[in-house]
Amino acid sequence: MIGEALKGHLDLLLLAILENNPAHGYAIIETLRQRSGGTFDLPEGTIYPALHRLERDGLLESEWSEGAGRRRRIYRLTPKGQPALAKRQQEWRQFSRAVQATVGL
Amino acid sequence: MKGFLHALDQELSRRGLSDKDTLAEVESHLLDSIDQGLSQGLSPEQAQQRALERFGPPRLLAGNFEKERCYRMQKILLVCALVSGLLIAYVDSRPTWDDTGITVFALLVTSGIIGLLVQRRPWLYALAIGLWIPLWGIIHAQNVSMLLVLLFPFVGVYAGWALRLVVQKTLHLA
Repeated sequence: MIGEALKGHLDLLLLAILENNPAHGYAIIETLRQRSGGTFDLPEGTIYPALHRLERDGLLESEWSEGAGRRRRIYRLTPKGQPALAKRQQEWRQFSRAVQATVGL
Repeated sequence: MKGFLHALDQELSRRGLSDKDTLAEVESHLLDSIDQGLSQGLSPEQAQQRALERFGPPRLLAGNFEKERCYRMQKILLVCALVSGLLIAYVDSRPTWDDTGITVFALLVTSGIIGLLVQRRPWLYALAIGLWIPLWGIIHAQNVSMLLVLLFPFVGVYAGWALRLVVQKTLHLA
């Protein structure tokens, strides 16, 4: 249920995590898990196709970095990604307010 | 882990999406995940097992890549195939047009180019390009044998598709 619900909002979550902190895929999934208190525990591999698509769309950029004997691909938000994130956050606020108002919680 | 990466590479190759950077990225992710498991006191085997389970099966990942990468492009490509097929059929249907050789050449070249770019279901693109001439022939002359024209786009699309797979395989091996 949560995994399915998450699919429609994965872009927002990924952009939000990368807003101030460039990170590699493993760090992104760890942040997602920590910030959600373990609720968002989706198969880790599923974030990579989304990250690559966001990069193709110009919302993210990546570069390889070398550290501790390991190459990692670091993603960061682009200037085009900032307003895209703000737009998605606004949409989410409207959506969640509407759901709360409807459900009555 | 090598077996997992090999399986992922095969799944991606099967979809024409093999990419060394993606494999390197996945390998780096798995190594991080294994390191975390080890730091939590798991044995190397347990850490690896947990890393692979958390990552998800290769087929799922390759399928997700396919959806993300191909969906938009393949839709555009299908529209291109339809438009070019209709254009060729329109020119071929003109009363003043009697050069069958050029029509066949146009069908083969167009379908070959589309075939080079197609990721899946090449038959659909062959139909999109080649269906219109037989359809016109059947509607206006009740000539069912015009269905043989479909042979050319099928040959073109599958030739282009096969050529792309061979080139990708060669580049991947290099």
